[in-house]
Amino acid sequence: MSLLSKIKETLICFKAGRVTLPYPRETRPVPPRFRGRPVFDAAKCVGCGGCASNCPAREILMVDLCQEVRVVKYIGRRCTYCGRCADVCPEKAITMSKEFETATNEIHDIQQELELFMGTCQRCGRCFTDAGPLDQLKMKGYRFDELDKDRWVYRSAGYLEKEAAVRDIEIEMD
Amino acid sequence: MPAWKILNRIKERFAAAVERTDVPANNRLFVHVRPGDLREVCRHVFRDMDARYVISIGWDDRPHSGGFVVSHHFSFDKAGVLCCVLVRLPGDHPKVDSVSEIIPGANWAEREFQDLLGICPEGHPWPKRLVLPDGWPEGVHPLRKDVAWNHVPEGYNHDAEHRFEDPPPGCVVVPFGPFHPTLDEPEHFRLYVEGEFVRGCEYRGFMVHRGIEKLGDSVLTYNDIPMAAERICGICGSVHNVAYAQAVEQAAALGVPLRAEYVRTIMLELERLHSHLLWVGLACHIVGFDTLFMQSFRIREPVMWMAEKISGNRKTYALCVIGGVRWEITHDLKDEMRAMLKTLEKEWLAVAGAVKGDRNLQKRTKGIGVTSKELVKEMGLVGPIARAAGVNIDCRRDLPYAAYDKVDFDVVVHEGGDVWSRVLVRVLEVFESIRIIRQCLDRMPDGPLQAKLNGELPVGRLGVSSVEAPRGESHHMVVTGENNRPRRWRVRAPTYQNLQGIPAMIKDQRLADMTISLGSIDPCFSCTDRVETLDIRTGGSQVYTQTELLQMTRQR
Repeated sequence: MSLLSKIKETLICFKAGRVTLPYPRETRPVPPRFRGRPVFDAAKCVGCGGCASNCPAREILMVDLCQEVRVVKYIGRRCTYCGRCADVCPEKAITMSKEFETATNEIHDIQQELELFMGTCQRCGRCFTDAGPLDQLKMKGYRFDELDKDRWVYRSAGYLEKEAAVRDIEIEMD
Repeated sequence: MPAWKILNRIKERFAAAVERTDVPANNRLFVHVRPGDLREVCRHVFRDMDARYVISIGWDDRPHSGGFVVSHHFSFDKAGVLCCVLVRLPGDHPKVDSVSEIIPGANWAEREFQDLLGICPEGHPWPKRLVLPDGWPEGVHPLRKDVAWNHVPEGYNHDAEHRFEDPPPGCVVVPFGPFHPTLDEPEHFRLYVEGEFVRGCEYRGFMVHRGIEKLGDSVLTYNDIPMAAERICGICGSVHNVAYAQAVEQAAALGVPLRAEYVRTIMLELERLHSHLLWVGLACHIVGFDTLFMQSFRIREPVMWMAEKISGNRKTYALCVIGGVRWEITHDLKDEMRAMLKTLEKEWLAVAGAVKGDRNLQKRTKGIGVTSKELVKEMGLVGPIARAAGVNIDCRRDLPYAAYDKVDFDVVVHEGGDVWSRVLVRVLEVFESIRIIRQCLDRMPDGPLQAKLNGELPVGRLGVSSVEAPRGESHHMVVTGENNRPRRWRVRAPTYQNLQGIPAMIKDQRLADMTISLGSIDPCFSCTDRVETLDIRTGGSQVYTQTELLQMTRQR
């Protein structure tokens, strides 16, 4: 009987043929729901912080640099690509991309940093994003006169810094 | 027999000992007893009423009631009731009567709360350190509420070595692990070998203890924990994800939409399918039958693709949130899944037909790693190990959850008790899983995927949930708490109990059978003796053999 089962096993192997995929020469297309590296869209983000407070790995940080500038930082080290941030985002500003080959020596390759220009609510004094780019242009400190540094930050001291404020504060990474 | 009848039977004997009882549902029973009577109540429940031992859990309740709590969990499988026997202990120098003499399977659980909470199990037969690292100073208990999650105590010695017991006279020590081709995790067995035969062993594990429970009650929130829970295990992740969500839902008395329950069932069974196919492959690999190893993995791959299509990932489905699931199973996906199941069933029938008569395979697995019904009862062994020893338990039928009470399936039981029986049980369970998924696809109703949550979850409630993982029962307990996170979350994976049965299973066996005996509980594979490098730009590839790799490393 054992011989018979050996023949059966051989037949299974012959029938199957070669099935190994030629990865990484060719990558298999991923399904539509695939959860790859999350990508943040600065134009849609309103800075509500829902992603930051729902991230299981605590990989999204919200830092208010001053009254007008809020920084959303995606650190991406421990990120498990669970997609909870994309779930809770009210503006659909986060999409789970199709990227899965994210191994890198340079962590900045997968990190993202959004500098959001926030207006101040006249009533409560807290921040909100303005409705459109035209409204944003009317705000003090929001200039485009130097294209390489398109976002200037108005500091409470009353003068413009040469460097964008985002760069001069060390954001805690982990 | 509903929960209140069981309660009445306990009260008949121990009317004075019972301080308080909660019957939150027909299938849950929480009995608070006086500390002095704990041992006798446990003996009565475990021996006289023939309940199955699940786990013992301790937690620090000092911020709320000023003391500690210890809870022994039992399952009445025929009645379908999970029963917890709880005692309240004082805040300083907490001590509890050990039940390990009565229930041998409670050995690890009691040593664990001794390590992590400082609750002393009095009368424990062997209260040696189990979980904490060897250089960890005495008197610091990480799961206590006054210890921060990232606290490293003063005097922690990274280099401290474990103090092993002396081997019995006439035996030679053979170390097995921490790194071994057939172990999927670093575990160390110190085997006492006499000639070719294993006479006993000492186990040292918990080398990858990640403190995930501490994170759960100090850092994460209710809806974060499912994503952390599914990373407890690389193969049965979704089981932990569902079990945790169910424990919280039971504690908060939260209803889940019917469609969500069906989705959970389908994903759990997909997971069982790929886990069993993987296990059969790896078991064959361990005994040196690589042909079937390759074919199992080939047959398994479409299951992984299906899971990827539904959830966006081959593993770690990120399925549950409290009160529902996240992924919808559309009509197109249903059709694809039916087609996938059809090919899978056909191919697995061919494999099952071939394997059944394979005498080479039988010679390596028959009469190896034998468990008796008594061992299953004493150690609380679960899953295919218990079912292969003729013990008819299966949480899907006994403690129904999700949509398992709405589908028909058979529980596969075998009488042999050896590794070969476990192979057969797992091979046949694949067909039952296919059957369950097909019924779910047909019967799944329309409706929402998530329940609407109104306000905060109630505080201070106890929830327990058992889910049948591919390896056995996975048990979660949650005590709900403040700040949108539980006060205590405890996970008992099936291997926690099954590993405790290993010393009895390998005793007086040949050393060469150790690997498959261990593998029959929990599969593993980390064996690579060559590496392939590939240059994408030129498209050329080169295969290095082990000797070449060795030469390369030596040149450096």
